[in-house]
Amino acid sequence: MPDDVSALGRAARPERGRARLSRTAPFVAAGLAAVALWIAPLVLDTFAVNVLTRSMIYAVLAVTVDLLWGFAGILTFGQAAFFGVGAYATAMALTYLGATPAWIAVALALAVAAPMALGLAVGWLSFYHRSTALYASVISLVTPIVVTQLIYSGGEWTGSSSGLVGFDVLPLELEGFFRLAAFVLIAVTLAAWVFVRSDAGRALIAVRDNDARCAYLGLSPKRLQIALTAVLAGVAGLAGFVFANASSVVAPENAGFLFGTELVIWVALGGRGTLLGPVLGTIAIDYLAANLSGDLPFLWQLLLGTAFVAVIILLPGGLAELARRAWGALPVGRRSGFAPRLVVSPPRPEADASDGPLLKIDGLAKSYGSLTVLENIDLDIRAGELVSLVGPNGAGKTTLMRCLSDGTEPFEGAVSIAGVSTAGLTPNRIVTLGVGRKFQVASVFESLTVADCLLLARAPHDGLSALGRAETLTLPQAALDVLRMTGLDRMLAEPTRLLSHGQKQALELAMVVALEPRVILLDEPTAGLTKAERTTIGAVLKTLTADLGIAAVLVEHDLDFVRQISSRIVVLHQGRLVLDGTVDEVVNSELVRTIYSGGAHV
Amino acid sequence: MLLILDILTTAGILFVVSIGLLAVFGVLKIINFAHGAWLTIGAYCAVVAAKLGLNPWAALPLAFVIGGALGGLAEHFIIRPLYRRPLDAILATWGLGIVIGQLITLGFGRDVQMTPNLFSGTVEVFGADYSAYRLVALGAAVVIGVAFALTIEGTRLGLSARAVIMNETLARGLGIDTARVRLFTFMIGAGLAALAGVLLTPLTSVDPNMGVSWLIGAFMLVMVADASFLALGVACLVFGAAQVLISTFVSPILGSIAIAVLAALVLRISPKGFSRA
Repeated sequence: MPDDVSALGRAARPERGRARLSRTAPFVAAGLAAVALWIAPLVLDTFAVNVLTRSMIYAVLAVTVDLLWGFAGILTFGQAAFFGVGAYATAMALTYLGATPAWIAVALALAVAAPMALGLAVGWLSFYHRSTALYASVISLVTPIVVTQLIYSGGEWTGSSSGLVGFDVLPLELEGFFRLAAFVLIAVTLAAWVFVRSDAGRALIAVRDNDARCAYLGLSPKRLQIALTAVLAGVAGLAGFVFANASSVVAPENAGFLFGTELVIWVALGGRGTLLGPVLGTIAIDYLAANLSGDLPFLWQLLLGTAFVAVIILLPGGLAELARRAWGALPVGRRSGFAPRLVVSPPRPEADASDGPLLKIDGLAKSYGSLTVLENIDLDIRAGELVSLVGPNGAGKTTLMRCLSDGTEPFEGAVSIAGVSTAGLTPNRIVTLGVGRKFQVASVFESLTVADCLLLARAPHDGLSALGRAETLTLPQAALDVLRMTGLDRMLAEPTRLLSHGQKQALELAMVVALEPRVILLDEPTAGLTKAERTTIGAVLKTLTADLGIAAVLVEHDLDFVRQISSRIVVLHQGRLVLDGTVDEVVNSELVRTIYSGGAHV
Repeated sequence: MLLILDILTTAGILFVVSIGLLAVFGVLKIINFAHGAWLTIGAYCAVVAAKLGLNPWAALPLAFVIGGALGGLAEHFIIRPLYRRPLDAILATWGLGIVIGQLITLGFGRDVQMTPNLFSGTVEVFGADYSAYRLVALGAAVVIGVAFALTIEGTRLGLSARAVIMNETLARGLGIDTARVRLFTFMIGAGLAALAGVLLTPLTSVDPNMGVSWLIGAFMLVMVADASFLALGVACLVFGAAQVLISTFVSPILGSIAIAVLAALVLRISPKGFSRA
């Protein structure tokens, strides 16, 4: 395995390294850590116990930042806000309601529920169809600023700038709070560990790699991001609850943007995309800070800032990356990655062979400003047809494909799938109507393995386990055929970034076929492929349409290829549909010859 | 009437503070989170100029040159390796801001510094006294804005910069040295930030962390302006007005977050912000 993987490829690696550990390894490790941390307060001095309690609470936050940023690719400064809301909810409940067991339970519930509600709102604001990663970061920056200002304006109610002090808390001693923080940290880390190793954990990385492909697999990346934001806001609120109890002080800085950036710094130094890196990094840095910042406050900040800049530029994987390189240099055998066994899914019951067309396009027109790209397109495609869309570059073929697969694209006219209009539907909802789309440039998940990509394609049918890895991967026969004919079935554990161009194309086709679509849209599936690969893909397409009754729309330049496999050919020229007929009619027409030899203006 | 003056001068100050960040965002496509640190550098240039016994106005060219030179170093060693990782560039520049803040603290101490007033006194406008300096700041904003527009429209660098903004790959293909354009743009952006820092000294206290409080507002304005120079002017006017009105009639605390919240909402509704209008 080469070690010079890109920053994107990193998250898949810790999982791979640990795959050799048995399924119980995380639990054993957690048990050992629990025992060690239970004993620790007996041997540590009071100062260390105090500081480490705080450090472990911060480490819980680091885990949430890491899941969002390191795994799901959402750079967030907002976890501090959720932490602050949880801490203030606790402090206010304990101050104004009292610290009886019942009110403490209420405080705990509030400390989790209030940040989750805020997290839902922030998630809804941050993630929508076509939102950008930068925008989500902007919102995560605004959130702590707004929360801090609300705390300031709360007057006596929130203690304004001096915060709340001296409320009654859980009846625990110093050691008790240390153990409580340790327990929460271990529980959260263990849950995160199990989750990122599971099949559902693949989805996080898939969204980070390529959220468009996720949407075109019928998954809703935005919903996943919102859910993740809300749940991790709740976890941050829980950390806030422990913090408020352990310190008996809450201040506006706990919710502030500066604290949010500190969390990101700890995670970056520890190693984003791993779990132990940020946990150990946060504890080490916070503990060191407590010991050093008294003596050399400015120098400590200076060193930390310098180390942060250096790590971001030179070592994006953080200290965990160094540890992994050292580990990789040891002569310990690396087992290859995890790969499930392939199983054929039972053939789907024959789709109701209704008479209506599967795909119906009515008067579709699309323009960018004064530039008309498509006008007056009418087309009906029935089950079992393989319709090729040909035309010179710039004829509007890819634009037409986009209009068919994304109902939020602004265009005139109507598109319907089996009688259901796609107007206003996002790509993932159109996929659930039974449309699969293969892009012109192979679109797969670069950080994942071949098997993982296929697993995600099956997620809408088979679901994803959040607890573990499925032993088997069920695929329809046609998808298996694609894999077999291209040899991908022997490379299931291979990361897709190592595949050749043709293999990526084949993998994407297999993923789209695995969706078991009724209509399949293929944008130049054979571009850049060898003759043998073309023949393979042609054979697969013929099977899909002739035997399984799928309707296929194929954009293609290679007229020989088109002639061999199509049942119908449609010619698009300068945004208009100029010819629609059988293979012979179109191939022998004068018009097509002039268009392809250039110069024709219809 | 005073309210309108307040709005105009606030918008002018916001414009001065954000213009350097906008230049960098437009051409380099990255957010320079060390922008606040450069404001601070500029303010400390004023402090140094005062200690050297220079005319307070001499701090302006001094800050522009020093800010630009330091910006060149930062671009070469920190920004350049991160062109392809824009989110990481945000973090690295934030880290750089911390480093600069601590270096200034080590050099000057963490206390608030006194600077000589660039321009003191009040003038009578429409029968009321108004801070003369705020009007000077507004004038400075107009001058900087016009100079910036002339640079963009009238010089070779401006033309190259516009080409890079529109299509960097094509610009490189046409033989424009895009690395140089990036370097010069960053230097100008950093110089303008330092210049803004000097202009801020009569309005705020000068301490090692003064830049951070301005950073977020400038960042949000630039996001809404989406690299368009005119849109930035509009955004400064609209959000400056919102800030002044909310601070005056509702509460100063809400006024202080008005820019951030309104800008986030505008971006949610129209991802291109004001640049489409």
